[in-house]
Amino acid sequence: MNAVTIILIEDDDGHARLVEKNLRRAGVSNPITRCADGESAVQCLFGGGCAGQLLVLLDLNLPDMSGIDILQRLKTDSKLGRTPVVVLTTADDKIEVQRCYDLGCNVYITKPVDYEHFANAVQQLGLFLSVVQIPETA
Amino acid sequence: MFGRRVGGRLALPILLAVGFLTLIALSLASIWLHGRAQRDAERATAAHALETKLVSLLVHLRRAESGQRGYLLSGDPRFLLTHRLAIDAVLPALAEIEAALANNPVQREAFAPLKPQVIEKLDELRETIRRYDTGDTAGAIALFKTGAGRQNMENITAIVERMQEGGERQLALESAQFQQTQRIVLAAELSGMALIVAVALMSFFLSWRSMRDQQTAQQKLRDNNAALESTVAERTRYLLDANNEIQSFASIVSHDLRSPLVNIMGFTSELETFRKNMFERLAALRAQAPGPDAENDDAALGGEFDEAVEFIKGSIAKMDRLINAILVISREGGRNLRAESVDMTALVRAVADGYMHRTLEIGAEITVEPLPAMTIDRLAIEQVFSNLLDNAVKFMRTDVPGRIHVKGREMPFTVVYEVRDNGRGIDPKDAERVFELFRRSGMRDRQGEGIGLAHVRALVRRLGGSIRLESEPGEGCTFTVTLPKRWIDPSTDWKQQ
Repeated sequence: MNAVTIILIEDDDGHARLVEKNLRRAGVSNPITRCADGESAVQCLFGGGCAGQLLVLLDLNLPDMSGIDILQRLKTDSKLGRTPVVVLTTADDKIEVQRCYDLGCNVYITKPVDYEHFANAVQQLGLFLSVVQIPETA
Repeated sequence: MFGRRVGGRLALPILLAVGFLTLIALSLASIWLHGRAQRDAERATAAHALETKLVSLLVHLRRAESGQRGYLLSGDPRFLLTHRLAIDAVLPALAEIEAALANNPVQREAFAPLKPQVIEKLDELRETIRRYDTGDTAGAIALFKTGAGRQNMENITAIVERMQEGGERQLALESAQFQQTQRIVLAAELSGMALIVAVALMSFFLSWRSMRDQQTAQQKLRDNNAALESTVAERTRYLLDANNEIQSFASIVSHDLRSPLVNIMGFTSELETFRKNMFERLAALRAQAPGPDAENDDAALGGEFDEAVEFIKGSIAKMDRLINAILVISREGGRNLRAESVDMTALVRAVADGYMHRTLEIGAEITVEPLPAMTIDRLAIEQVFSNLLDNAVKFMRTDVPGRIHVKGREMPFTVVYEVRDNGRGIDPKDAERVFELFRRSGMRDRQGEGIGLAHVRALVRRLGGSIRLESEPGEGCTFTVTLPKRWIDPSTDWKQQ
């Protein structure tokens, strides 16, 4: 069985580290590739930098481009269209959440400040990762 | 400018008055002239009649004289008949002349010697006829020969001629006077007409000028309106831009503030995990090498650590709430308002019912009078009353039963709602400050971030209204919300409203 690679697109080092730590703590052992900005994420996803089955954790507030654009491009891509995407962001604006779901994001998680909720969210995310069936790539 | 304007305003009525007065004067002159002409005509007629009478007097006298002579010569009684008839007609003719002279003192003076002469003449005629009839033909002839009768007749003729001349003179004089008057009146009428024409021309000119001024003013007004419209449109655009900028600024700031906060909270939690691990390890080491009072030292250390972490977490939680508040308000500003007909009484009562359990708990009561209905954004006005009632319930006094009263009234262009409470009140010097974000007044013994009233004011402003606070500490306070009857969404083009 091919290990699913988690692509973490997050510009904030602290957030990336917290996500990673809490994923590991929740027992998620999949390889994690981090992209610190939109450009490297695009390179990784569409430029062949990343191979195999992917799961994308996407921050919407990137310094060089909007995460929404990456989401849109990912979901309309013939190869990567079915890749699960978890949007992780500080905003919980209803309009933005709706837009992400409309574009095909699988889960939308607001980054909480409260640690317990954060851990819980990440736990659920880990659970989600362990049970989700990653479809065979064409 | 002022003088010209006043002159311009008064000139037209003055001109009209002058025109009318002139017309009246002309009419009066005309009537007078007509009367005068009639009087002159009557006088001329009377003069002619007098003339005729004078002539007929002479005719009668001459016929009497010729009848007398014919009779004396021929003795034919037909001459006597002619003579008698003429004699009988003389005195009535004389009386007629006298009567006609009743109003003519000049002619009467001339007439005065005529009558004795005529009577003398008649006496002479009668005397000759009497002498002849009694056979004294010689006596009659003798009397005739004295020439007295002829002299008499000449005198009479002279007097009559004088009177005729006098009448003609009078007539000529009056005719000349009449012509003179007619000329004067004609001149007056001509100048009156000229005046009227001038007045008409001036009126026309003034009207024309006034019309031109009015047109200029209207054009100017139109220009000003157009300029005003474009200025307002420009300002509105500018304000909308500024507002949008502030909103996106608030949104961006709160996002960007939240991002580091996630790290601080996250890693604080990590620190707590470290602490747990470290103290477990420390406890294990202590178990291997116990020291005097070591466990108490460790516990004190742990306590200080926990205290520090608690402060950090408390501050983070507070900061999170503040950022959330900014987000809420900035989002509220970005929400599109939708005007709908709202039964305000039902709405406010429903909001009040939401506080039922709290009012029951503290023994307070919310009363809502029937309120004027409105066409407005339901959610926004609901939030306004929700925040005002929440505020009122929150700051009740403990020594008196809380009373919150909501009432409203319709004004010509606005609707006014009042929320009055008997709570602890707000110091008047804070009346403006309480509407500012994160600002609070009075004792800080109640939960809150100082957001509610700021939110209310932001909402009321978006609805095109205003909110005012009247209060005395310890007396309670009254929030007065004034809203326009017809809500105009400032984000749409105002000209299309």
